[in-house]
Amino acid sequence: MKKVLITGHRGQDGAYLSRFLLEKGYQVCGADRSGDSGLWRLRELGIEGQVQEIALDLLEPTNIIDALEKVKPDEVYNFAAQSFVQLSFDQPVLTAEVNAVGVTRLLEALRKARPGAKFYQASTAELFGSTGSAQRNETTAFHPKSPYGVSKLYAHWITVNYRQVYGMHASCGILFNHESPLRGEEFVTRKIAAAAARIKKGLQEKVTVGNLESRRDWGYAREYVEGMWLMLQQPRPDDYILATGETHTVREFVEAAFLAAGFRLEWKGHGLAEKGLDAATGRALVEVSKQFYRPAEVDLLVGDATKAKTKLGWAPKTKFKDLVALMVDAELRRLGKKKVNL
Amino acid sequence: MKKALITGITGQDGSYLAELLLGKGYEVHGLRRRSASFNTSRISHLYDAANPGASRLKLHYGDLTDSTNLTRLIAEIKPAEIYNLGAQSHVAVSFEEPEYTADCDGLGTMRLLESVRLLGLAKTTRLYQASTSELYGKVREIPQSETTPFHPRSPYGVAKMYAYWITVNYREAYGMFASNGILFNHESPLRGEEFVTRKITRALGRILLGAQSCLSMGNMNSLRDWGHARDYVRAMWLVLQQKKAEDFVVATGRQYSVRKFIELAAREIGITIAWQGKGVAERGIVKAVNPPPGLAGEVKLKKGDVIVRVDQRFYRPAEVETLLGDPAKARRMLGWKPEITFERLVAEMAASDLNLARSEQHLKKGGFAGLKNC
Repeated sequence: MKKVLITGHRGQDGAYLSRFLLEKGYQVCGADRSGDSGLWRLRELGIEGQVQEIALDLLEPTNIIDALEKVKPDEVYNFAAQSFVQLSFDQPVLTAEVNAVGVTRLLEALRKARPGAKFYQASTAELFGSTGSAQRNETTAFHPKSPYGVSKLYAHWITVNYRQVYGMHASCGILFNHESPLRGEEFVTRKIAAAAARIKKGLQEKVTVGNLESRRDWGYAREYVEGMWLMLQQPRPDDYILATGETHTVREFVEAAFLAAGFRLEWKGHGLAEKGLDAATGRALVEVSKQFYRPAEVDLLVGDATKAKTKLGWAPKTKFKDLVALMVDAELRRLGKKKVNL
Repeated sequence: MKKALITGITGQDGSYLAELLLGKGYEVHGLRRRSASFNTSRISHLYDAANPGASRLKLHYGDLTDSTNLTRLIAEIKPAEIYNLGAQSHVAVSFEEPEYTADCDGLGTMRLLESVRLLGLAKTTRLYQASTSELYGKVREIPQSETTPFHPRSPYGVAKMYAYWITVNYREAYGMFASNGILFNHESPLRGEEFVTRKITRALGRILLGAQSCLSMGNMNSLRDWGHARDYVRAMWLVLQQKKAEDFVVATGRQYSVRKFIELAAREIGITIAWQGKGVAERGIVKAVNPPPGLAGEVKLKKGDVIVRVDQRFYRPAEVETLLGDPAKARRMLGWKPEITFERLVAEMAASDLNLARSEQHLKKGGFAGLKNC
């Protein structure tokens, strides 16, 4: 039986990948420092208790080596990260320690304790930042716009470096935004989906967001984890973009989410004074606040996943509106205590 | 009086920069790490009482891996300019110590930027980040300019890339005056002995006097753009005197092979080398010896001696084959150009290290073989 080690297995991607690999017959070991707070994802996916918990922290090299020697994984997926862009401006040191140096520790440990294992590094579209409106492919130059982006850029290149220098089977997936009902609530999509559902149920009055014009390439996380797995099944390691190739604004996301919850929105005002009103009652449901703007904004992130399609045979299936609807639907079901279909 | 803080003041660049800034009337504060071995030899001449700027040079114990230490020092000094030259700067060592290299070279830069920001000095303190041509690694275009994409080939290169981009990020996010100088190789007699140029000149001086038999080399076909550190620290200073913070490539725009460096350095002290063999079997053999005057009794080297060999151990795990900078922007906007030619650089280094080898030999003869020149 193949063995896999997933760091950050209680996060969105880790949870989906855990289920995907369990279904494929892998023995799945996971390391996560979220404690109880991330368990709900495994519970909702119906795999609670099926992932073997490992104590591994990216801050501690000897601990990593020890864990690798115990688990002896065939594949390692590194999702563990301080993954929230906004917070990286407040905690740049921790973000770098975990996201950047942590990957060095993990690669060094692999090189010594488990050199034959295949390695996946979770790179991100945030590496590209904002350098125009062209589609980003694997050869586009990077320009990160946050301490998070810079830390992930380090992690990307140190992975490439270990592949080139030591011949390790190490690949980076440069994933554009990928969302799901398992997204953390600090992320804008989940925050909006949850708010639309709560407002519908009368549990919340309104939601406050940042830049409505931010554009993102949003896909469905559940489909993206298969792309990651495919990368590690290739004879040769390489880096791939996973994306839909379509962008939508935060405004479109808000409109689609409220529509899925049964509200039609009308916009009034400009800039920070803009409000989203319920067309039926005129009640303000959406407001804008500077607080949710980033110090340095990435304006547009659209990915070109041609290489993944050609070489991995991977392509996203779920469309934007369906993704938003399924996220809102999951929130409504959670509030109704019905079984959530993820 | 303008105040500057230099991290890495005990290194080659730190020494030349401190000298430049003291000459301009700055009060210069330097960060030094505590070490069991003497590590201020490159700046001892600057705080010698004979140097008129000596009273304006102040050293502090500190470390780029210690946030509180950096914050306290910056709060006390309130420097107008910070030059971040401190780093684990050796590429080969970075493969052995990737974690420390990241912590010091990458995160260290961010700790400085964060300290400046949280002390409320973002609008008053300017920061120069010592970026490097190693960022280009497996080069995407020749020559390399400010717009050439990076492809680092070592943990050192990756750590320095983190530092480059975090500097850009703090400039963009907080409006700080923070600039990168992307410096191509710059050498001098003060270069650390573990670097290839200095290793060559140091060995050749000793070889001429019979104190060493052979020079072991890695890839001699590597091409580098080599300038003199004295010229390059001037560019650093200019980068921080601009109206707007921007990033600059600093280079000569000319390229030579490591082999050429060896030949020129040898010729400078009177050794003519002939090359024989290929690849790892290649050897440098003495074709003629015509040492500088005054060395008559000291020269032990003779025609036919093998003085250069190739050793696989000195190849890098991932080789950077060629580096050539395009200094057009620095020339246009900073008005900077190098004044010391490659030939003069090599000559200065070779002559300086021949002197060093002679003093070693004299000490040895006098029975003080254990004494290091300090």
